[in-house]
Amino acid sequence: MNLLSFWSTVKPVFEILILWWIFYRILLFFQGTRAFQVLKGITYLAILFLVAQLLGFHALNWLLKQFFAIFILAMVILFQQELRQGLARLGRGRFFNLFVGESEVIAVIHELSDAVFKLSEKKTGAIIAIEREAKLTTYVESGVQIDAIVNAELIQSVFKHESPIHDGGVVVCGQRFAAAACLFPLTENQNLSKIIGTRHRAALGLTEHTDAVVLLVSEETGEISVACDGKFIPVTGIERLQAILKDLLIIHTKRKK
Amino acid sequence: MKDFLTASLPLKIIALGLAIITWIYVHGEVVR
Repeated sequence: MNLLSFWSTVKPVFEILILWWIFYRILLFFQGTRAFQVLKGITYLAILFLVAQLLGFHALNWLLKQFFAIFILAMVILFQQELRQGLARLGRGRFFNLFVGESEVIAVIHELSDAVFKLSEKKTGAIIAIEREAKLTTYVESGVQIDAIVNAELIQSVFKHESPIHDGGVVVCGQRFAAAACLFPLTENQNLSKIIGTRHRAALGLTEHTDAVVLLVSEETGEISVACDGKFIPVTGIERLQAILKDLLIIHTKRKK
Repeated sequence: MKDFLTASLPLKIIALGLAIITWIYVHGEVVR
């Protein structure tokens, strides 16, 4: 009997925890995609719906119910591409593959820092996005998929002017060089100087939309920068770059675990 | 443990809000 009353007390908490985990995974799954903005809109409407229910606003309640009925169908049509990609990713099992070891991350950091410093010496413009928690699949699919082990020479050859895929950015997911010639969103920050180039705007834009870390080499000055959370972090030398990347990637990976 | 709780905190809060809303909505309907 005691066990039964204990279960009836714990059950709602347990159920809310399961629901919380499901919603959290869905939000995480769509973070950085077009569908995420819509998901945020639905969240506000869901809150409005609950308030309307609690206060007994029948007309508003009716309106929202009608809207939700149509909206589910509209969502399926509007986001059929994202849904298809999401289901395909679940099928591939990558959705659950969150674990990358520290030594693998350090190896990737060394290859990337080596590549950007050599590109900087030659004043070759480059933009490399490193995936963290938010999936960059939408951006990977906008470019040419490569799926190779991250390698400094490969990255340098991609950004050479003669390369047909030198325009756009490279995306690195875990230990893999996922794609090149990817299109990143431009920042909407109005406070930026007008002389800041498209590559820098794309780096900031991507870090505003996702939690990715972006490595950047300026074509004009050969200057190297790291963009994260919509801000640039100045880079003075290769050791400094490696320290920044270790801080942003290894600590972040540990957090995920 | 602290890192696990604070990573993607806004998303976790939104998800918790949605979970509570869903629970209240469904159980409210059941009670009614």
